[in-house]
Amino acid sequence: MSALTRLPGLLGIGLVWLYRVTFGALFPTTCKYHPSCSEYAVQALRKHGLVRGSLLAGWRLLRCNPWSHGGFDPVR
Amino acid sequence: MMLYAIPVLSQLESVMRHVLNWFHSNLGLTWAWSIVATTVVVRMILVPLTIRQIHSMQSLQKHAPQMKEIQKKYKHDRQKQNEELMKFYRENKINPAASCLPMLLQLPVFIALYYTLKHFATNFHVAAHADLSFLHFIPSISDGTTAHWGGYVLLFVYVASQMASSFFMMTTTDKTQRTLFMIMPLVFVFIIARFPAGLVLYWVTTNLWTVGQGLITRRLVSKTPAPLLERRSSRTPPKDDGSSGNGARSEPPPPKPAPSASQQQPRQVRRKKKRTSRR
Repeated sequence: MSALTRLPGLLGIGLVWLYRVTFGALFPTTCKYHPSCSEYAVQALRKHGLVRGSLLAGWRLLRCNPWSHGGFDPVR
Repeated sequence: MMLYAIPVLSQLESVMRHVLNWFHSNLGLTWAWSIVATTVVVRMILVPLTIRQIHSMQSLQKHAPQMKEIQKKYKHDRQKQNEELMKFYRENKINPAASCLPMLLQLPVFIALYYTLKHFATNFHVAAHADLSFLHFIPSISDGTTAHWGGYVLLFVYVASQMASSFFMMTTTDKTQRTLFMIMPLVFVFIIARFPAGLVLYWVTTNLWTVGQGLITRRLVSKTPAPLLERRSSRTPPKDDGSSGNGARSEPPPPKPAPSASQQQPRQVRRKKKRTSRR
């Protein structure tokens, strides 16, 4: 990916970090998945760009509910 | 604020306004108590998730000794430690208590309340003369928290309640992480001090709910039977309990080597299809 096409993804990563230092810091949770949801989001955004990365991260968040079993689930 | 241009946010705010208005005009609560009531309702909606969490905590407690062992084994490799723990969860069908979605569901409520309080005077035309105080020590919930001495009391309660709720919600046994979560409110209080007092009130309420929930949960969890000591996991070799019949063993079974990597690959979540990267 060229630097220009990577830019939107970096914006998304910035937003994830914003979440991490603000709201995420408030709640002591360790995600049931590995890597954690926010880490997954960063990796997905890095690998697949803003649109697909966001979709992947969103789907992961939905999967990270009390009825799922969690586990090792890396970005593909 | 730039974020306010996003239409979803103004809709969230409008929903919050209606909810607060309902409590105020139908139940005759003051605005401050309406916020408390809204918080309680939100947390009540989340109760089914909590019940689910209690079950998870029970199973976690049952397997605590083995999990500690894993943590000890991979003390210096956090990544590996996490992976092994996750694997252990799956093998023993444990559902880790913590999940991201319930946390995230509270985010829209928080944002909605933030904007509602920010635009309080314009949103509620009557609000200019309305009683915005809380328990006689907060003169106005839409003012900044530090605008009045009462706000500092509220902030103190916030720190205390946040620490208590962190204590009850913590699922990690990692010491550094635990300490970090206990210190976090002290750092956070400086950011929160700039928020409207009503928002801090929301936070205090939700924290106190968590603490109460935690107390009940703990009582329930500690009532569960003591953990079975000889629970099998992938790391404890199967015991020959004489089921082969003759009872006499010719030789002790060789110590089982560490499971090979090919056998023990972390199970991954199944996907419908594997797609290659487009770019």
